[in-house]
Amino acid sequence: MTDMLIFSIGFACLAVINLYRLVKGPTGADRMVAADSVDILLCCAMVLFSLYSGRGVYLDIAIISALLGIIDTMLVGRYLQGRRK
Amino acid sequence: MDVLRIVIDVLIAVGAIFALAGTIGLLKMPDTFSRMQASTCISTMGVIGVAIGALLYAIFIMNSASTAIKIAVIALLVITINPIGAHAIAKGAYRAGIRPDKPMETDDYGRDLEDE
Amino acid sequence: MQKTRFPAVLSTFVICFAFWVLLTWSFETQELIAGAVVSLAAALFAARFFIHEKSFRLVHPRRFFSLLVYVFVFLGELIKANLDMARRCFGGCKDVKPGIVKVPVDLPDGYAQAMLANSITLTPGTITMDIAEEDGKSYYYIHWIDVSETDREKAGEVIKGRMEKWIGRIWK
Repeated sequence: MTDMLIFSIGFACLAVINLYRLVKGPTGADRMVAADSVDILLCCAMVLFSLYSGRGVYLDIAIISALLGIIDTMLVGRYLQGRRK
Repeated sequence: MDVLRIVIDVLIAVGAIFALAGTIGLLKMPDTFSRMQASTCISTMGVIGVAIGALLYAIFIMNSASTAIKIAVIALLVITINPIGAHAIAKGAYRAGIRPDKPMETDDYGRDLEDE
Repeated sequence: MQKTRFPAVLSTFVICFAFWVLLTWSFETQELIAGAVVSLAAALFAARFFIHEKSFRLVHPRRFFSLLVYVFVFLGELIKANLDMARRCFGGCKDVKPGIVKVPVDLPDGYAQAMLANSITLTPGTITMDIAEEDGKSYYYIHWIDVSETDREKAGEVIKGRMEKWIGRIWK
């Protein structure tokens, strides 16, 4: 039981480390890639925490957050493509 | 039962190690496109390791079918939809004028864009 | 915008309904009816963006078997590329030689080209950036982190590996 909690905290720590690139990144593309990684790492952390606590709600939140994060990435990518014809 | 716990822990630890590799690459790689390549490590092998470990845990220890199916759906969605976002960001970054500091080995795309 | 056809709506409906059943995981009559109504509405709205032609193409034993084999071929390539990428990252991120190469593909079908492009993007170390058509042949522009070949054909063999052959068998 406890090992799931430890792994979950580890993935959340990796997400916090990725926030450095999100804050510093010199261009918009860097920031978006870092945001995508934070999203996926938090999704993994939520899956593991749901196994630890036994509640299914975290899995639903993980599905929705993964889908919304990918849609965000696609939107920003299309915006960058259209800026210079 | 103990063997199963060890296998699950090893699988999730493999996922965590690849996620750590992706994080280090994202922080230390020299230019934007290389950072993009490193972050692919997180969304493939990290997600696959965690998903297989969590799937075994949900099936054999929790005995819960709905949890297992939701975990499988999450892994499938992340793995099949994520490359579309990576492709859009890479093309957008190149078209918005982001170039690496060091000149690239070959640059066929830039040459063909000049011709248009 | 192409016209919506009945098989496209039907296959979209089947996929939506399967996802509804998998996510709710309850088999009471009321929930099933509600799911059917919602998936029918979603299918009528979204079929024109989702599937254009040949909707039930994968329901065929030989193609399905090829798909199963392809999953394992792809997993092999994925693990190999991931180990390589992890070695680079832990080794200090210094030995990278990034570059963009142009690689020819000979897959006729649009779905097959999209599938190969997504597989190449998923393996760490290569990202497909664009698809171009020149005199009847298709080319990918691929950002590659370790350019070891600048010749198009050889670079294509190194990057695509065995994936192109199996994708060709799936969508033949």
